[in-house]
Amino acid sequence: MAASSKTPLYEASTQFKNWRYSPPSLAKVRASLNAAAVAVIRNTFEADEPGSSSAVSFLLPDEELLLVRLYASKIPQLCGFFRFPDEVEATAITYLKRFYLKNTVMDWHPKNVMLTALFLATKTTNNPISLEAYTNNIPKTSPSDVLDLEFLVAQSLGFEFAVWHAHRALWGIWLDLQAVPNAPPNGAASQSEIYDTALRHVRASRLSDAELIYTPSQIALASLSMASPELATEWAASKLPPASPSLSTLQDTMAVIRGLIEVAARPLDVEAVRGVDLRLKLCKNPEKVVGSKAYLAKKAEDERKTEEKRNRKAVEVQKAMTAGDPFGDDLGRLVDYDDDDDD
Amino acid sequence: MANRMNWLQGKTVRKNTPTNASHSRSSSTPQVHSTSSTIFGGGVKDPSGRITEYSSEDDQCPVCKSDKYLEKKLRLLVSSCYHKMCESCIDRLFTLGPAPCPICNKVLRKLAFTPQTFEDLGVEKEIAIRRRIAKEFNKRVEDFTTLREFNDYLEDVEDITFNLINDVDPVGTETRIAAYREANAALTLLNTQREEAYILSLRQAEDMQRKEKEARAEELRREEEEEREEKESGKREIIERLERAEGTDAVSVVRRTKRERAEREASRKGVAPGGSAQALLRARLAAAAATTKDTPHIPFQDDYYAYDDMFVLQPIYVDPTSEAVRKDREGIMRAGGYRVEEAWERAVRSAVAGLDLWPLDAIPHPLGVDQGGDIIMSAA
Repeated sequence: MAASSKTPLYEASTQFKNWRYSPPSLAKVRASLNAAAVAVIRNTFEADEPGSSSAVSFLLPDEELLLVRLYASKIPQLCGFFRFPDEVEATAITYLKRFYLKNTVMDWHPKNVMLTALFLATKTTNNPISLEAYTNNIPKTSPSDVLDLEFLVAQSLGFEFAVWHAHRALWGIWLDLQAVPNAPPNGAASQSEIYDTALRHVRASRLSDAELIYTPSQIALASLSMASPELATEWAASKLPPASPSLSTLQDTMAVIRGLIEVAARPLDVEAVRGVDLRLKLCKNPEKVVGSKAYLAKKAEDERKTEEKRNRKAVEVQKAMTAGDPFGDDLGRLVDYDDDDDD
Repeated sequence: MANRMNWLQGKTVRKNTPTNASHSRSSSTPQVHSTSSTIFGGGVKDPSGRITEYSSEDDQCPVCKSDKYLEKKLRLLVSSCYHKMCESCIDRLFTLGPAPCPICNKVLRKLAFTPQTFEDLGVEKEIAIRRRIAKEFNKRVEDFTTLREFNDYLEDVEDITFNLINDVDPVGTETRIAAYREANAALTLLNTQREEAYILSLRQAEDMQRKEKEARAEELRREEEEEREEKESGKREIIERLERAEGTDAVSVVRRTKRERAEREASRKGVAPGGSAQALLRARLAAAAATTKDTPHIPFQDDYYAYDDMFVLQPIYVDPTSEAVRKDREGIMRAGGYRVEEAWERAVRSAVAGLDLWPLDAIPHPLGVDQGGDIIMSAA
């Protein structure tokens, strides 16, 4: 149905180009990130004290994901407190999930990343709040907690801040249903109830991986079908030609998304997450813990490198000074003699 | 303007008559009638006339202690040793020939007094010296073989200037200048001539430009005038013909007259070019305008498919979400051009966007599935 010569709008988005995965590729990304982080941290432990890493039990990719999910579920609570719109909430959760596809929990604890992602989302969705107002209302948080990570988060997101959201698609479906002739009449109390239920499912879907695999419109339609299967079928039939392969694929896709949403809607096992968090304290990348031996070593190493660079530069400058006449030699090379004082 | 320029020419416009009290004192010496007309009107000259003579309310003559409060006409002039004195003191002291400065005892002449331009006399002095030096030391970078030599020369010049400004070794410095002048007389003269020629060429170019501009404006005005006349006469012609009732219906008369007039105009335009240089220029401009087409600027020319065939936007929706915005009678919420129709369109568009996209794992031809390959740990 899409005109073949033109790129459809969604397929031109960064969300489609850079943040679309299949379930196996998602698992692969997480596993490789985890493995790389574990290798690095193990090395650091060994360098600090040989043999000390054998006792440490590192986090598994699934456990990392569990922790990220817990902190993702805190974002709606914060948004409710600050009265941020849905847009901010959805964007912040997306940022958090995308961040942990480029970084691991063992390097950056999701607590601070979550705060930064939310603050960044308020700005990128044009709902700005002052940093003071933001941090003063969150206990045990200082402005530096939020700002220190801001560039790292933005960089990990590849500075791709625009996100297509399922809740907007759901609104669109809801509006467009009024143009579908066979749809039941609108405005009744039960109708808005259906919309609210569907919106709840969309919100639950944010805690799952659905948006990294499926398009926002598919997630919205799946949410609607959980609230009212007839309406969803009716609308899908009006959009896609009957008996086309895409319609049947859409049905399969929706079934999978429904499964994801159901899993995401279940409350987390807080005890299990707490256990993960406790273990994280032990296996955190020591280079990122301020004051630890590895942190100091890393800092010294960095300083040594900067010093080296500075020295090298000084030597180069010295050489340039002694080799040539600082007041210039040949008039042929002269471009603008007014600039001579600067060299 | 004329009044302001006068000091540059060494004249002062005196509004009071010679019988005025303030003037009668100086006129007691009959051979000189006014200082201001006899002294050299030097100081820092500004050809644009924007810089005027400096004077302040607190001016006081250091010699006779008369001040502006009592003597409204007080005018302080600067000696060649950079000390200020009022005109009447200058008249009193220097009319009979060179006399020592009452402050520093340097022998001064009446003609060497100049009006003050800057509040700080140090600046006044520095500028005068720099002007003098620039006139003599006018070598250019082309006159040297190496950059080193040129830089040494610049340093020498700055050295001399500094010595003069701060009165360091005045005799030695003057000898240095004299020696330089002797050694480089020919080159200095040449450079001066070059500089003058350059300034002259600049001025000529400016003049030419201005004349051309004027001619163009004149041409344009004449053309407009002609056009207006033409239009007027056309209208008159139509009315006349209608009066005479040439032909049967009015519409055809009007049309015919207009056509005839257009033909006449075309023939006139065809003959006109070649008449003057201005016309030629105009023709060239017109040709340039014709070749560079003035197309409207469209910022985004990406040709995206916006799913337009997948939905029909309704003129109105039952939509509780946007009710507040639509009911807002003062339009505060719609400030900045918010239109709820656009929000609706965006929502409906995003509802149908990518509806039929296959999930990556179900793609029949696995193209670009391996997204995990390019994942980099940003901070390991």
